[in-house]
Amino acid sequence: MVQSKKQKYLFLTFCLLPTFLLFVIFTVYPMVNGIYLSLFDWSGMSANREFVGFENYVRMFNDEIIGKAIYNDYFFVVTKVIGIMILSLFFAVALTQLKVKEAPFYRVVFFFPNIMSVVVIGILWQFIYEPDIGLVNGLLTSIGLESWTRPWLGSMEWALPSLVVPAIWAGIGLFMLLLMGGIMNIPKSQYESAEIDGASEWQQFWKITVPLIWPQIKTSMIYIVITSLNGSFVLVQIMTNGGPGNETEVMGSYLYQKAFEDFQFGYGATIGVLILILSLVTVLIMQFVLKREKVEY
Amino acid sequence: MTKFLTGAAVRIPLIIWSILVVFPLIWMFIGAFKSNAEIFSSPWSMPETYNFGNFVSAWVDFSIGSSFLNTIFVTVLGTVLCLAFSIPTTYALERLRFKGSEVLFNVYLASMMIPAVLGWIPLFFLLMNMNLLDNLFALSAVYAISQVPFTIFILSSFMGSVPKELEEAAAVDGMSPYGVLFKIVTPMVKTGIITASILNAITFWNEYFMALILLQTESKNTLGVQMDLLSTNAQYESAWGALFAGLVIAVVPVIIFYAIFQRHIVKGMTEGAVKG
Repeated sequence: MVQSKKQKYLFLTFCLLPTFLLFVIFTVYPMVNGIYLSLFDWSGMSANREFVGFENYVRMFNDEIIGKAIYNDYFFVVTKVIGIMILSLFFAVALTQLKVKEAPFYRVVFFFPNIMSVVVIGILWQFIYEPDIGLVNGLLTSIGLESWTRPWLGSMEWALPSLVVPAIWAGIGLFMLLLMGGIMNIPKSQYESAEIDGASEWQQFWKITVPLIWPQIKTSMIYIVITSLNGSFVLVQIMTNGGPGNETEVMGSYLYQKAFEDFQFGYGATIGVLILILSLVTVLIMQFVLKREKVEY
Repeated sequence: MTKFLTGAAVRIPLIIWSILVVFPLIWMFIGAFKSNAEIFSSPWSMPETYNFGNFVSAWVDFSIGSSFLNTIFVTVLGTVLCLAFSIPTTYALERLRFKGSEVLFNVYLASMMIPAVLGWIPLFFLLMNMNLLDNLFALSAVYAISQVPFTIFILSSFMGSVPKELEEAAAVDGMSPYGVLFKIVTPMVKTGIITASILNAITFWNEYFMALILLQTESKNTLGVQMDLLSTNAQYESAWGALFAGLVIAVVPVIIFYAIFQRHIVKGMTEGAVKG
């Protein structure tokens, strides 16, 4: 190309610099500053920012609600991974291999909750759990199980499991599609030769389908973990606000409360650092564990 | 016979799940036309008369109307800004190999893996110091930046397949690199731009938490924040009908969008998710 070096660099700067500057200001700087803020006691007014070292971290390790929140976050992670993986794997196999004529219909329907806003999903499910007019209690009453009805989101032991259901409901579609993509790439001949060898469909599923779509399974599981640790608090915030008591508090909702309601921004940032570290550690562990299983095959 | 049985065994879970997805949505639509008394006395039945009062109440009394317009504003502006930020960068990273281009690309990609939660507190103070809190332009810009890495990721695979000869021919004809980028390459990646923009628009339309933190007056609220407020108020005033109507107003644009762009959305979402 006929252009001087100077012109080339000018063009590169034009392409890259504005976006990169904005990226640094609005994405990189807040992350770094968040870690820095966790070392301060700060109510948000610039005058009374006090350096306290690791005091916020000491406080965090002695905070009972943090323990509860971490437990709840991992309760979400485990139940969502199991629930979503079983259901979406079943649906993916059913819609690709079991010769269901109306498969496209199910695909379109199942994916729809994935593009609804969490706010809408949360409010809708609040209604579904509503003690008097809600679908769940209504359904239980109509089939004669009146004794099972309860205020689901207001109950100490049922609130947390009740929150998992909409999270799974809204998550199935995306992972089903991901797994379907993997299954459709498996060559037909694999199954044909297995059939000649007399392998049952169940054996084919475990010996062919699962190992060959392992990359997709692994990606899905890690993706569920990341989005759950960093996003499930929105559902909590909308449906229960962490209650009853602190029964459904998760790290993200607790961060919001501490920072933007109690104005303890330093402590809020400390919780943010905890979320960051736990997410990275969990993903690293999963990378390691899930990789080993692939080598076995 | 066994064929019929296995067919049934497969279909029953599929049908049950379809009902679980569709029924709450239908219930929501029906509820939007009922009076409060009717919602309580017969939550399951069809409405006796179809009244649109709930929609008027939600739109006017509960400010869903103004938040609807605000949401359209940030969605459109955010989507356009995101393209303006991403297209030149993607072109430079994908097509003008330079020292560090791979590193920069990976920096953008890696930032998608890092939780944004921690950054929200400093972001709040950053915008406060810039006097940009409660400002829909600022919110759109923040949205746009937040989706830049994802957009670069989607666009780069499309730009990689634009034939190099086209660019070279244009350059030989004396076209400036700016011309090559905007008149030759950008139109060639139209599909990628559409895919990324649809997904960005859905993300912005649905966004809740940044809006909650960065907006402060009711007249500026976007749909997510306003729906959450409406939901809280509805419980005190038992304005259930208006709440159902608000939900319908928030969901209908998404349904229409999904109906039109179903293929793009599905393809982009699955490709975007593989990034993990």
